[in-house]
Amino acid sequence: MAVKHTKKLFIKALNKKFGKDFDLAGQKVEYKRLGIEQSARKREFIEYARKVEGKRGMTGYNPMVHAGGIPMGQRQLVPYKLSGTEYVVEGDDLHFVNNPAIQQMWDDVRRTIVVGLDMAHEVLQKRLGKEVTPETINNYLEILNHAMPGAAVVQEHMVETHPGLVDDCNVRVFTGDDALADEIDDQYLIDINKMFPAEQAEALKAAIGKTSWQAIHIPTIVVRSCDGGTTSRWSAMQLCMTFIDAYNMCAGEAAVADLAYAAKHAAVLQMSEMLPARRARGPNNPGGLSFGFLADMVQTSRVAAADPVKVSLNVVAAGAALYDQIWLGSYMSGGVGFTQYATAAYTNDILDDFCYYGVDFAADKFGGFAKAPKTLDLAKELATEVNAYGMEQYELFPTVLEDHFGGSQRASVLAAASGITSAIASGHSQVGLAGWYLSMLLHKEGWGRLGFFGYDLQDQCGPTNVFSYQSDEGSPLELRGANYPNYAMNVGHQGEYAGISSAAHAGRMDAFACNPLIKVTFANPGMVFDWADVRACFGKGGAREFRAAGERSLVMPAV
Amino acid sequence: MAYKPQFYPGSTSVGINRRKHMSGNLEKLRDIPEADVTAIMGHRAPGADYSSTHPPLKEMGEPDCPVRQLVAPTAGAAAGDRVRYSQWTDSMYFAPSTPYWRSYWGAINCKGCDPGTLSGRQIIEARERDIEAYTKAQYDSEMTDVALCSMRGCTVHGHSLRLEENGMQFDMLARTEMGKDGNVYAVKDQVGIPLDKKVNLGKPMTEAEAKKRTTIFRADGVPMCGAVGARKYDEAVEALHHMWELRSKWGFRPE
Repeated sequence: MAVKHTKKLFIKALNKKFGKDFDLAGQKVEYKRLGIEQSARKREFIEYARKVEGKRGMTGYNPMVHAGGIPMGQRQLVPYKLSGTEYVVEGDDLHFVNNPAIQQMWDDVRRTIVVGLDMAHEVLQKRLGKEVTPETINNYLEILNHAMPGAAVVQEHMVETHPGLVDDCNVRVFTGDDALADEIDDQYLIDINKMFPAEQAEALKAAIGKTSWQAIHIPTIVVRSCDGGTTSRWSAMQLCMTFIDAYNMCAGEAAVADLAYAAKHAAVLQMSEMLPARRARGPNNPGGLSFGFLADMVQTSRVAAADPVKVSLNVVAAGAALYDQIWLGSYMSGGVGFTQYATAAYTNDILDDFCYYGVDFAADKFGGFAKAPKTLDLAKELATEVNAYGMEQYELFPTVLEDHFGGSQRASVLAAASGITSAIASGHSQVGLAGWYLSMLLHKEGWGRLGFFGYDLQDQCGPTNVFSYQSDEGSPLELRGANYPNYAMNVGHQGEYAGISSAAHAGRMDAFACNPLIKVTFANPGMVFDWADVRACFGKGGAREFRAAGERSLVMPAV
Repeated sequence: MAYKPQFYPGSTSVGINRRKHMSGNLEKLRDIPEADVTAIMGHRAPGADYSSTHPPLKEMGEPDCPVRQLVAPTAGAAAGDRVRYSQWTDSMYFAPSTPYWRSYWGAINCKGCDPGTLSGRQIIEARERDIEAYTKAQYDSEMTDVALCSMRGCTVHGHSLRLEENGMQFDMLARTEMGKDGNVYAVKDQVGIPLDKKVNLGKPMTEAEAKKRTTIFRADGVPMCGAVGARKYDEAVEALHHMWELRSKWGFRPE
C-alpha cells in the first residue's frame, strides 16, 4: 500500500510560512490585504530607495506605482524555506541579484577550465628532450598558482593583479594514477581517494586512468568583467608562461605554439559548448551546459550517496537557479518572474516530499534503487502514481497549492518528482524522462490546465523525443542541454532534466553521471560555492551569511 | 451515417461536463445584457462604433481565392473590426470551466477565434463584435460561475489561491464583489478600471452546484486516479496512457 510512504514533509515549511496554528487544509481564508508592509525585505527596499532617490535626484523603486496604486501583499507575503535545510528567507533573497551564493555558483562554473597535462608533457619530453618529474611538476604548480591569478613570470616591468582581489583563483591537479598522485604536493592535489568514498574513487580512477589533469579556476572578478569565453584564453596564457618559466624554455620558440594549442584547444575541456549565432555566446556560458555536466558538478553524490533523492534535488536546485534564473531569466529574457518558477523546485520541501514518496514506493516494490525494469511500463506505473500523489497534496493542502500559485511551478515539480522517481527506480535517465512527460500529460488532463503557453509546445509533443536518437532531436538526456532544440525556450524544465540525469546515476550509485573529469574538478576544496550542499549554500546567500569572491571593495572607498 | 464527434471519454460527471463544453451544448444560466458585457470587457464604450483595421471586405475587392470563396467571413471580419480579447480566470476550487476546456470550447465552436491556454488564465482573441458575442455566450452559460470565474485582462493571480470567506475567488484588483443581497457585482473592467455603474452578475452557484458542473478532477470531488492506496483510473487516464505510449514509441523510429 502506498499510504505508508506518505510523509508530508512540507508541513514544517508551511507552518514556518503561515504560522504554526494555521489551518493548512482550509479552502477559504480572510485576505487581510496588508500590503508590502508585512514584508521586512520590502520595507528595507522602500527605506533604501528613499536614500537612493535623494542621492541621485530621480525616482526609482516605488511599489505604489504597481497596478495603479495597489501594491503587492493583497494576500499574505510569506517567506521561503530552503528545502532540506533550516534556512528561511524572503522570496526576494532568492533573486539572483540579491543572492551572492547563486551568483557564485555560476561564477564557479564559468571560471573553470580543465586542461590536460599529458600533451604538454609530451611536447616537453619528446620534442624538447626536457625531463618531467614529480619535482618539476610541483615546481610548475607553484609557479602556476602565482601566475594564474594574473601575476607576472618571465617578463620584467609587468603590471599584476592585487592578490586580495583574486584570492579565489587556484589550480590543482588530479590523476587516476595513485603513484603519481602520491608524489604531488598535497596543496596542489585533488586527492580522489580522500574526497570520494572508496568505491566511487576506484571508479573515477579507472575512468581517468594514468592521465593527469589540471582543474583551473581563474579569478571570479575576471569572468565578471569579461565572460566565460575568457576562461580558456586567460588560463592558456598563464599556462604557457608558466611552462616557459618552469622548464627554462625560450619564450619565442616554436614549441610554445604546441603548448598554447594544447592549452587552448587540444587538451581543453570547456564546461559548456559555444552556441549558434541565434543565441550567440562563447563557450563556458550557461546555454551550452549539458545536463550531465551539471549533474557532475554538484558534489552531493560523494557526501550523501546513500540518499539518491537528496543528490538529485541538489542538482535540480543548481539547475533551476542557473538555467531558469540566470540563463533563461536573464541572458535570454530578463525580469523578475523567473525566480519563482525556479524556487518552487528547491523551497518548502514540496518536491522533496513528492520524490521521497515515489522513491520509497518504488524501492519497496522493486527491492531497492535501480532494480526496476528499464521499460515504458515502469515509467507509466511510477509517473502515474507519483503525479497522482502530488496532485492530491495540492488538492488536500490548499496552502501547498497557494505556495505553488502558478501552473508552471506545479507542472515542473510534479513532472520532476515523476521523472526522478522513474530514473532512480530504473537507473536509466531516458526512463526518467518518459516519466516526466507522462506526468505533464496527466497533470493537464486532470486539472484542465498546465503551465504557460510554452508547456503546450514542449511537453505535449515531448514524449516523441524521449527515445529518439536522430540528429538534433535526440540524445541521451545526459548529453542534452539548455540549447537542445525543444528545450531552449522554457523555464521550469532544464534544472529538472539535470536532476533526472543525476537521478539515474544516483540510483545506480555511480561515481559520476557523464564525465569523471568534471566530477573530480568540482571536488576541489578551493571552490568558493559549496557544491556538496547547493540548497544550504543558497540559504546562506539569502540569509546574508555567504561571502562571494570577486569583490572590488578592497580597491574602492568604503560606503 | 453522419459523423458524430465523441469529444471525450469517461462516464463521470467531469467526463460528461467536458463533453458538454466541447460540443457547445451548454445550459444557459443567466442573461447579462450585451451592453454590460461590453463594459466589463472594456474595449469600447457600450453603443460606440466599432474600431476597424480595414474597410468592409465587400468594399475591398478580395483576390480570387478558393479558400475565401469557401469560407464565409465572420461578422467582425466582414466589417473589418480590430481584434480584441476576453480573458478568464477560473478557480481550481470547482469552477465550472478550466483553461483547456474554455479553449476547446472556443476552438470547436467559435469561428475565427484564437484561444490561448495558460494555467491561471485563458484568453480568446477575435474580431471585436465576434469576441463580444463569444464572451456573452461564456458569461451566460454554465461554463461560468460569477464567484469562481472572472474576466481579468491583467493581474490574473487567483486561480490557485484559497477562496475568500464569502466564496469569491481572490482577485488582487477586486474587480468583482459580493453584494449584501447575495448577488455578485462587477465593479471594474477586465484590466481593473472602475466601471461607471456596477453590473449585477447574479447569484453564484452553491458549492454543490459548482461541484456538479465542474470540469476539474479533484481528490475531494471526482478523482481522476482514485486515492493514495486505492487507485482507480478514470477512462481518460487509460486513453491518455495509450496516447503517451504511442507518441513515445513513434519517436524512437529505430530505422
